[in-house]
Amino acid sequence: MRKDEAMTDPDRNEQAALPRLRSVVHAMIWATVPVLLLVQLLASAGVEASSFWSQLRQLDARMARVAESRAELIAEPLWKMRYDQVTGVLKEVMHDETIAAAAVYDDTGAAIARVVARPGGQSAAEVSHPIRYSNGNMAVQAGRIAIAYSRATLYADAGSRLMLLLVVGLLATFATLIAMRISANIFIGRPLAAMMSAIQRSKQDGRAYPADVTSSNEFGQLARAFNAMQHTTSGALDRLGHMATHDPLTGLPNRRALTERLAVTSQTGGAPDTLVAFCFIDLDDFKGINDTFGHEAGDAFLVQISQRLRRAVDAEDWVARLGGDEFVVIRPEVSDEQAAHAFAQRVLDAISEPIRLHDKQVVPRASIGLAVRHADDPELSHLPTLADIALYHAKSKAPGTVAVLDEALQRDYRRRRDIELAIPTGFAEGQFEVWYQSQVDLDSYEVVGLEALIRWRHPEHGVIGPGEFLPLIERSGNNARLTRYVLTDACRALQQLAAAGRPQIRIAINLPPSELADHSLAAELRATCARFGVAASMIELEITEGSLINNIASASETLHRLRRLGATIALDDFGTGYSSLAHLRRFPLDKVKIDKAFISEITDSAEDKAIVGVIASLAATLGLTLIAEGMERAEQAEAMREMGVRLGQGFLYQRPQPLEAVLQWLDRQPAVASRVVADSPSITPEFAA
Amino acid sequence: MGAAKLTKFLRMLLAAGMVCGVFGSVGRSIAKPLDIVFVNPGKTGEVYWDMVAQTMQAAGRKLDAHVEVLTSERNYRTMQELGFGVVARPDKPDFLILSNEESAAVPILEAAEAAGVKTLLLSNTLIGEDAVRLGPPRQKLKTWLGDITTDLQTAGARMANALITAARAGKWQSADGKIHILGIGGDETTPASIARNAGLKLAVDAASDVVVDRMLFANWTQSEAERVTANYLSWAARKQIRPAGIWAGNDPMALGALRAAIAAGLVPGENIQVVGLNWSEDALREIKADRLLLTDGGHFLLGGWSVVLLRDYADGCDFAAVSPRVEVKTSAITRDNLASVGDLIKTRAFDRIDFTRFRAKAGRCGQYDFSLDALISSLPVAEGVAD
Repeated sequence: MRKDEAMTDPDRNEQAALPRLRSVVHAMIWATVPVLLLVQLLASAGVEASSFWSQLRQLDARMARVAESRAELIAEPLWKMRYDQVTGVLKEVMHDETIAAAAVYDDTGAAIARVVARPGGQSAAEVSHPIRYSNGNMAVQAGRIAIAYSRATLYADAGSRLMLLLVVGLLATFATLIAMRISANIFIGRPLAAMMSAIQRSKQDGRAYPADVTSSNEFGQLARAFNAMQHTTSGALDRLGHMATHDPLTGLPNRRALTERLAVTSQTGGAPDTLVAFCFIDLDDFKGINDTFGHEAGDAFLVQISQRLRRAVDAEDWVARLGGDEFVVIRPEVSDEQAAHAFAQRVLDAISEPIRLHDKQVVPRASIGLAVRHADDPELSHLPTLADIALYHAKSKAPGTVAVLDEALQRDYRRRRDIELAIPTGFAEGQFEVWYQSQVDLDSYEVVGLEALIRWRHPEHGVIGPGEFLPLIERSGNNARLTRYVLTDACRALQQLAAAGRPQIRIAINLPPSELADHSLAAELRATCARFGVAASMIELEITEGSLINNIASASETLHRLRRLGATIALDDFGTGYSSLAHLRRFPLDKVKIDKAFISEITDSAEDKAIVGVIASLAATLGLTLIAEGMERAEQAEAMREMGVRLGQGFLYQRPQPLEAVLQWLDRQPAVASRVVADSPSITPEFAA
Repeated sequence: MGAAKLTKFLRMLLAAGMVCGVFGSVGRSIAKPLDIVFVNPGKTGEVYWDMVAQTMQAAGRKLDAHVEVLTSERNYRTMQELGFGVVARPDKPDFLILSNEESAAVPILEAAEAAGVKTLLLSNTLIGEDAVRLGPPRQKLKTWLGDITTDLQTAGARMANALITAARAGKWQSADGKIHILGIGGDETTPASIARNAGLKLAVDAASDVVVDRMLFANWTQSEAERVTANYLSWAARKQIRPAGIWAGNDPMALGALRAAIAAGLVPGENIQVVGLNWSEDALREIKADRLLLTDGGHFLLGGWSVVLLRDYADGCDFAAVSPRVEVKTSAITRDNLASVGDLIKTRAFDRIDFTRFRAKAGRCGQYDFSLDALISSLPVAEGVAD
């Protein structure tokens, strides 16, 4: 739960991970205000101290002046011994509250007058001034005046002023703090918050929002730069979004866009009875074009196809490239399934116009899987899968056509899916069985070999033929596993054959094309043979022409290794595919298997006879053994023998059977009495393959 | 001894004078009675000015002059109003006697000039700007006949010399070998005070062994003089000065100094001398008690002498023949002559003075002898001897 919460709230997670947010405004205030306060207090104290000293000096000077002026006033009464007047004049100075006491002494030093403001009052300083008397005839020092005065008032005043300055300083600091707080909020906090808000909104929905800051200061510049960056980011995000949902080569929407489109379509719905046509297009043999003309030409080819698709559809239609050679065309409104089919066919026709690549005409071929659903169908988002089912059918059954998804296809699809999902269980529970069908000498009726044929005994679907499940095995990447499974079984069978007194019978194994690229196959073969104590020369490997073409060099290498071990190589299904004579010469082949298509009508078809004849004479020339598949009737065997085909395989001799049945069947066979068998016609068609 | 001879000589003169006076007064008598008004600047009870008025009236009785005294009660505005009133009278007096105290008499002088009333300034004459502006008598102001004043500077010097003589005799020098005396002036501004003080200075300057420690001012009053003297004596004690004498500008201040000296443990007359001025009764008593060395003065007689001058002027013997400004010398009363004038002053029996004897002799207009000796001579012998 905790983890989920953390996941669902990345912001909170991020904040929790970061150190606690400290506001820049607060930091500024904390950095400035104490300094401001300190400076203010120091300055105030300094100013006050200087003022105090100045006042002290002023007081001293004033007292000196008082003493001087009193001395002048007192001089005459003192000299003339009007001591009452002296006292009177002296008393006048006591109006000055700072003066604590004053005294006048005559020229003998006797105190003539003395006044005290407050008995016991403290006096910190004293000033004395001589009293000089002069008239026209004389100038004498008549005495001196002494004034004791207190600085207490000054100290008290300085103290109270200091207190006042402190209070004013604190108030000023407080006011500054508030002003800073407000202005910082306006000039810093607000633009930052605006940008932060823009960032948060951008984080929330991935769009780049501008910050709403109009000031012309540095933050305004920052915000404009930020907005420019947001604009750039917005463009980049748009491009990124476009890139995420579009194919860079063709510019068409991609698979992701398709998913979104379908999600949107299923949400918006539309009229419930409208039909949506979904065409899944796959180019046939695009790999061949890439291989032949190079990847650049392949890209150009894809671009041309995309252009054609665009041109072929209407404005409301929607074209996408899912990757590789897969395209999708959606027509959001079709009247019925026929119209949809006609539309798909038109698209297919548009694709199939010839294209010039490197001055060569190439006719693109494609298959289309078409699925049609109502707009309100809850399975609308599964349209790609459904169309793919149809496409699979088209490609496997009728390449270059439009296949419409119907019930049967869906059934097939479900069966196919079930089978594919059951493959691991099949291997684990040993549901795969190897059956064997004998290969017979047409002259002597002697069994010279057995072809190992794979079967799947499925608990629900019964015995499934290889034609149905082998493509699924290949698609699920289990080819190698199955081949080793068959190889092991074949070696065990050779052991049993030898034990049953038939050591001359060899076993042929079908190699899927992918195995030819596997360099470890030869080593695997040798190890397995060694494990069962059988000679590798008792193994024949059947390959198809198609598997050679895809990787000529690698295939040739593998084949040579296998042959060096003693195994023989047979070319399967010859005559149906490329039937390349060059292949016959280039690869180290020992045997050629003539496809049963030439065999079934050979008794009546002169053409088939001619083809088989040519093949036979060619094989004879190249020193290759020929074997005919699908022998069902004795006449066919006779015809083959006449044309020089040595070996045959088919129901005429034996149906594919589990090894025990084959061994029992062999036991019943007289050494060279195969005619009886040959004469008994089989009426049961070959089970499979 | 010299004084006894002098007395005998004076008595002879007096006798001869009485004879002449009787004849003279009879011989020149008498054109007409005079009508004199005196605007007294002083207050009723103020000894000096009372005595001035009394001598003036006594002289008037002897010289056939009616003297009307108007008292200003020390209010100069009142004095001026009185003066203007007299000048404006339809029946104008023959002479108006004024005293220019605080220069308040000047407007009255001018008014009298306008009204044609003859004036005489007594005791205080014009000073300063007024003197410069109006010049000497009988020039700009034709009716201002002149003035009669006392020579107080000589009085001051005489007083100082008496102190110095006594101190020298008693060898009252201080440790520095000098005779230290204290001067107590009435004030520093009035001509009467300035003259006396100048006399003191004159005498002391002439005596190199004498120093005036202080010239103190006591506002003419006894109490203040007592206070400053006490201060001085205390100071002198601290300075280890032996105070030899105290010169006081008038008698009340001399009496204050006496009290202070006694309070300071001194014995005036024995180890310190004090001099005063004014011939006051108290001073005479202190002289008699041998505490006061002398009191100079007699200038209250200016009242009588002024009537003498005006009588002579009215009778055609103008005192301006010598000078319109008559300066009368004062005299000192000591233990020696106290007996002669003490009773006169004490009883204010100024009618005993025969003012007719002081009139100028024929052909010698302007020449007067207002000395103490002349005065003593004018008194009836029996009474003087008896005292």
